Amino acid sequence: MIVEPVILLALLLWGTLVGLDLVSFPQAMLSRPFVVAVVAGTLLGDPAAGLRVGILLELFALDVLPVGASWYPDYGPATVGAALYATTADSWVTGLGVATAIGLMGGLVGGSSLRWLRHRVARDLHEQADALAAGNTSAIRQLQYRSIGRDALRSAGLTALALGLAIAASRWLVLDPRTGAALTIVAIGCGLAAVIGGALRSAGRGARMRWLAAGLAGGLLLLGLR
Amino acid sequence: MKGRLTALRRLYAVQGAWNYERMLGIGMGYAAEPLLESIESADPARHEEAVVRSAEFFNSHPYLAGLALGASVRAEHDGVPGVQIARLRTALCSPLGALGDQLFWAGVVPAMVAASITAMVLGASPWVVAVFLVTFNLLRGWVAVWALDTGIGSGTSVGAAIRQSWLPRAAARAGSVAGLLIGLAIPVTGAWFLEPFGRGPVIAALGLAVAGVVIARVGGPVYAAPRFALAAIGLTLLVGGLLT
Repeated sequence: MIVEPVILLALLLWGTLVGLDLVSFPQAMLSRPFVVAVVAGTLLGDPAAGLRVGILLELFALDVLPVGASWYPDYGPATVGAALYATTADSWVTGLGVATAIGLMGGLVGGSSLRWLRHRVARDLHEQADALAAGNTSAIRQLQYRSIGRDALRSAGLTALALGLAIAASRWLVLDPRTGAALTIVAIGCGLAAVIGGALRSAGRGARMRWLAAGLAGGLLLLGLR
Repeated sequence: MKGRLTALRRLYAVQGAWNYERMLGIGMGYAAEPLLESIESADPARHEEAVVRSAEFFNSHPYLAGLALGASVRAEHDGVPGVQIARLRTALCSPLGALGDQLFWAGVVPAMVAASITAMVLGASPWVVAVFLVTFNLLRGWVAVWALDTGIGSGTSVGAAIRQSWLPRAAARAGSVAGLLIGLAIPVTGAWFLEPFGRGPVIAALGLAVAGVVIARVGGPVYAAPRFALAAIGLTLLVGGLLT
């Protein structure tokens, strides 16, 4: 796989931006996998390949409720690597499984790195405790900018890791088409498990469950009509 | 109120220094700074106390944090006792967290994502991504302006203002819309992915989906899905490698 350095740099910047978007700034939903992957795919000249892996990773992301202190995967920067692998595979049928695995691995590492970041910010907070107690506004600003800077570094590191995984996989992972297709089937099955599991959990037993059932029936009807 | 636009802009980074001790506290203090500036010249001691209070522990949904910010800053300007302002902030944490999570994380976001991916798998162009981003951010921006203005306008009676607003009703309904659209997306997206495969692989994928749902129920919610997927992919890779 040969990717021009300028494209790699653009992907790194994009991954950094979407990593920041998840929590720190601006939470504009840039970090949704289908958004990340379409933009990354476009940068790589194949938005359709990006779209397919983005939608599959989105099925996993729909399982996540990013509530407060809970621990959740950060799929954004990882999706950049997944899209890179997807655009270089011979066909999506044989390449989607490995691309998804790159996205999932990166997502899990990303979740752990968020926890590290939150502890690191708390350490900075302790160092500034006296200034904060004295109502020093520049201490507040400093903490804010430093934390966002750390998150940018975290996001850039995660993107570099995901891109590295994608480049390594496309260079050294040699799969026969049968195994590649089997991996894709497994990834699709697991993606469906994630979105169905998340939908059932969110639906509970009330009105939302009835709406979910109605939606499922509508989707099946739509398939029948097509 | 002076500094309103800067505060609004800074609210977009309200989680910038999120941590396990003060949660959104530092971000709230950062957003409050321009709104508290005018107190400094009139009463420096009061300003100092207000700055300290503004950066203390706070937690809510980030998109609704403007309600608490506006209300507490208005109370600071009105000379409400500090203890009462601290109590107001604490009292707002749970309702703003619950309403925001219900409205956005469990409602608007999954609903819009599901609608977007359904449109794309049915053949719409990838420009759907741009439509999604613009629509979501217009809504989010409007909510941010409404939240800050409602907070500033109502001060310590912000609780009543929230109760009488559109927010509780929208939060209660958003989940149903999300349920409907996710339900619609599941079979359509599944069929789109499985279209080129034969009957055997399709049955295998659906069997795996059922197994994954059961394992997620038993093994815990958040990490169950990606870990299960990675284990299944790893096992397939191992078996595939051994057979070839």
